[in-house]
Amino acid sequence: MAGLFRKTVVYALIASLLGLGSPMAAQAEILGTLAGLESARRGADLERIGGVLAREQVREQMHALGVKEGQIEARLAGLTDAELRTLAERIDNMPAGAGLFELVGVVFVVLLILEAVGVIDIFKKFP
Amino acid sequence: MRALRHAAIVWAAIAALGGCASYPTGLTTAAISHLPAQVELTQVPFFAQQQYQCGPAALATVLQSADVDVSPQDLAEDVYLPGRKGSLQMELLAATRVRDRVPYLLPERLPAVLEQVAAGRPVLVMQNLGLKIAPAWHFAVLIGYDLTARTLILRSGTTQRLVVDMDRFVKTWARAQWWGLVVVEPDQLPENPDLERYMTAAASLEAVGRLDAAAQAYIRARAQWPHSAWPAVGLANVSYRKGDLRSAEDGYVAALELDADNIIARNNLAEILAGRGCIAEARMHAARAAALAAGTPLESAVAATARGVDTATSPHHGAACSRL
Repeated sequence: MAGLFRKTVVYALIASLLGLGSPMAAQAEILGTLAGLESARRGADLERIGGVLAREQVREQMHALGVKEGQIEARLAGLTDAELRTLAERIDNMPAGAGLFELVGVVFVVLLILEAVGVIDIFKKFP
Repeated sequence: MRALRHAAIVWAAIAALGGCASYPTGLTTAAISHLPAQVELTQVPFFAQQQYQCGPAALATVLQSADVDVSPQDLAEDVYLPGRKGSLQMELLAATRVRDRVPYLLPERLPAVLEQVAAGRPVLVMQNLGLKIAPAWHFAVLIGYDLTARTLILRSGTTQRLVVDMDRFVKTWARAQWWGLVVVEPDQLPENPDLERYMTAAASLEAVGRLDAAAQAYIRARAQWPHSAWPAVGLANVSYRKGDLRSAEDGYVAALELDADNIIARNNLAEILAGRGCIAEARMHAARAAALAAGTPLESAVAATARGVDTATSPHHGAACSRL
């Protein structure tokens, strides 16, 4: 009995995932203007992951990057599918504008280079 | 002699790291002949950035200039990414869209930016103030320039009026791929607008469901480019998404009169016709769309429409079907 119930649930799940018998088929989905413009601009661009999956990935990534739970949906709301796909793949290494505070690190790197090529001699002062 | 050799090595090392290519400003006489020699948009607000938060500060500056009442603190919740200690360009676009403004990305050259400033629009720019291998990404707002002194005026970080040398700015800007954004109210156009850039920005409003703002932008675009099919396609799509299939159908027909090869208009018209039982006409449009879409990224989506139309039944002879 329990086995039959589980089987029914599994088949129902599979059917719903496949979109079979979905009551939402009443209005078909049209193609968006942006998809048309993007298609006309770029050559063939194979979408590696679908929009729904990308949205889910970005949701998780934002959470991991410290965005508060209640703010994530509002932030996702303004992003297009293509942007979500890009973020899903590159959110950790896309340029993030921060401002001049990062410059301390840059100065350090430059000093290191100057030291390495023998122009300056700061670091040897510290044993 | 030794000192000279050292200097040469240092120079080579820094050049290799920074990619030290010199970027021309692109300010040829022809490119700037129509611009006033000096402009400063003194009325543009200034928000001193909090730590790492140049993104929210710069975005608040341009949004307020486009008549959106929003503070950097509000925007920090939308565009600041704590784990990256900064803001991403895409999130600035997204935050602009949800406030019903058109995020128009400028052509990647300085004259295109100056021309917006001359027309009264501040430009949000991204810079890499560091080196390629040790980037220091920064957002600032360009609010003025002086062609004779070859300087630019920025709202930047904690400085309300930063005057920078043009060549120096272009180096930092080029390292951020010449990224420049203007925020435009949907019933207006940026200066000297480009059809594809503007339509892409307007269509991104449609794509995220800001339908009223998208429709306003499309109407403005239609007035500007009466011979392009894209504004009509956009307006028809907005009608469809709002459930007004009658207007949508008329819109696709109008778009196809401007460009018989517009895949989106063909595909979506097929969808509507099939939905109201005009199967033969729907098949004709779907087949045409499928032929046009072959080899493009739209191929599979259009093929799906064609399959749906092929399996559609319920022929319905009452309504007038033939439209094109």
